[in-house]
Amino acid sequence: MPKIFIDDRAVEVAEGLTLLQAAESVGIPIPHFCYHPAFPPEGSCRMCLVEIEGLPKLELACSTVVKEGLRVRTMSPKVVEARKSVLEFLLAEHPLDCPICDKAGECKLQDYFEEYGLFKSQFKEAKEKREKKFKLGRNLILDRERCILCTRCVRFLNEITKTEDAGILNRGIHSEVGIFESEFIDNNYSGNLAQICPVGAITDTDFRFKTRVWFLESRESICPLCSRGCNIIMDSHAGYPRTLPTRRVYRVRARQNLDVNFHWICDYGRYGYAYLDEGREDRLVWKKGDRETRLSWDKAAQILSEKIRSLVHLRKNSRIGIVLHTNLTNEELFLADRVFRKGLGVEKLFLADPPPGKGDEFLLTADRTANRRGLQEVGLPVQAPDLKALSGLDLLLIFGHYLAAGTSPSDLKNALEKVETKALFASHKSGLDGLVDFVIPVPVIAEKNGSLTNIDGRVQPFVAGLSFAGDGIAEWRALLDLARELKVEHKYFSRLASPEAIYRALRKEIPFFK
Amino acid sequence: MSSEYSSSLRRKIDEVVARYPKKGAALLPVLHLVQREVGCISPEEERFVAQVLGLKPMKVREVVTFYTMFLRRPVGKYYLQACSNLSCSLLGAGPLLDYLQQKLGIGIGETTADGRFTLSTVECLGACEQAPCLMVNFDYHGQLDREKIDRILESLE
Repeated sequence: MPKIFIDDRAVEVAEGLTLLQAAESVGIPIPHFCYHPAFPPEGSCRMCLVEIEGLPKLELACSTVVKEGLRVRTMSPKVVEARKSVLEFLLAEHPLDCPICDKAGECKLQDYFEEYGLFKSQFKEAKEKREKKFKLGRNLILDRERCILCTRCVRFLNEITKTEDAGILNRGIHSEVGIFESEFIDNNYSGNLAQICPVGAITDTDFRFKTRVWFLESRESICPLCSRGCNIIMDSHAGYPRTLPTRRVYRVRARQNLDVNFHWICDYGRYGYAYLDEGREDRLVWKKGDRETRLSWDKAAQILSEKIRSLVHLRKNSRIGIVLHTNLTNEELFLADRVFRKGLGVEKLFLADPPPGKGDEFLLTADRTANRRGLQEVGLPVQAPDLKALSGLDLLLIFGHYLAAGTSPSDLKNALEKVETKALFASHKSGLDGLVDFVIPVPVIAEKNGSLTNIDGRVQPFVAGLSFAGDGIAEWRALLDLARELKVEHKYFSRLASPEAIYRALRKEIPFFK
Repeated sequence: MSSEYSSSLRRKIDEVVARYPKKGAALLPVLHLVQREVGCISPEEERFVAQVLGLKPMKVREVVTFYTMFLRRPVGKYYLQACSNLSCSLLGAGPLLDYLQQKLGIGIGETTADGRFTLSTVECLGACEQAPCLMVNFDYHGQLDREKIDRILESLE
């Protein structure tokens, strides 16, 4: 490992790193626009110039590879002067429209401008006028005045999607990002372009002019829309209720995880966040005939456990059924198994999932649920929910609203009518609401703690990024409460008071999760 | 449509492509061949070249727009390129260009109504010893003055 000196600090860094990477690895950031860890160095923005002892000129930190004994200065007067000059050139052709720019607040050009304090303009000439809302892609608008020609977008399309839809047209002062005729960028990863654009040149029509980034609170989560388990950041108004909360989440972004999704997420996951706020169940109700009663979860838990207890007491365990789905967390599936299958001897475990979609060869999988692998590893023996089996039951706990899909509504109605007690734990409204006795709202993945196992068997814990507003209960808590009410192995379950504690038990008992 | 291109052009393209280890490397010479045959590189030609060389049309567009010698629109029968760089300007290229525009009745970058002449300026024709200088299609005409321009244009009538 070569030993180099960065700002007089001796550091040992891995062979083959560039100076920029080496400096970042020891916590010294070097300003840059065009460098992106996913691509080879481009060296077009000149922002990362640093001073290397013994060399007459400044060198690019993004493309100079470390060598034993290099002495690098990242903040010398010469370097600072160079950065100021680079910024001045970039800003000479940049419109100062930060007040109406969506990127303002998270723009690297803006940040560096503040940092290097080029407040006094020397610019007297007229600015170049360019196209300000060029349609670049399905969801992408290009502002050619703001573009600094870092070519991150072009390289993304060349190297990641390999669709090569965009390029740099013309040369010199006339250079601009463009597409061929009107062949817009239209692939399942195009949303990443707005995210990697270091300035406000590429904006996303889904986010454009909707809010300002400083009103948003960024929380880490896992995308539950397919089984890849991409790491995401949810930008929501949760922390700053500035306007009427018509919706909470304004944007979903990719979070770097080199083992799962690298720096990217697909458009299906990026733009598919409407489900977080739309069509949600928010009232816990008990229906008797035409009458609907609102009640608390504690009360509902008592009623449900009473019914379960009497069936178990009459040795009618075989007349209890549970419908599960694979958007439940590892912890919840584990609890479902331990409380009902092992604890109460319930054997009718069904699985009703959303239908698969079309996968692609990069991140999006055909399986549109988050935790199928988790179900396999927990080892729940589940069967498809055939209506005949369902109709022969006395009590049915339905998790998820997916049972309504794939069966004819009248058949489902007929089957469920024969079941005496039906409780639905669902995050979203569906046709099932009218067919059951209890509707119990539950949080979605983004609103609870737990872990998911992705398609490659990677277990990813997550914490709630959004608060759960309905008067329902998280599934893991509901299962624990039922276990407590039913006095199933009290000593065992009373220790599992949190998803973290459940996971510790899971790790102990199932070798896969070690 | 790619079917419109002559078999001789296609043969020439095949010959050129065969000289390179990778098809895409033949982009510049192939563009020159196509421009010589068709007269310009319009989007149709860009698509054709991209298909022949196994590239995306955008890659061809990048190259075509980078180099000023590729014409993106058809030009007249005679393409007049007047030098506007230092040596020529010092020796009176400016007034001569005005004279040319006036005589042809067109501005820079325009084509006469009869489609015979297109006028453009170029940065340097690399013939400073003959300044002021004009290129008509592939022929050089140097040490220009008004009479010489009249004679050249007459010879092209």
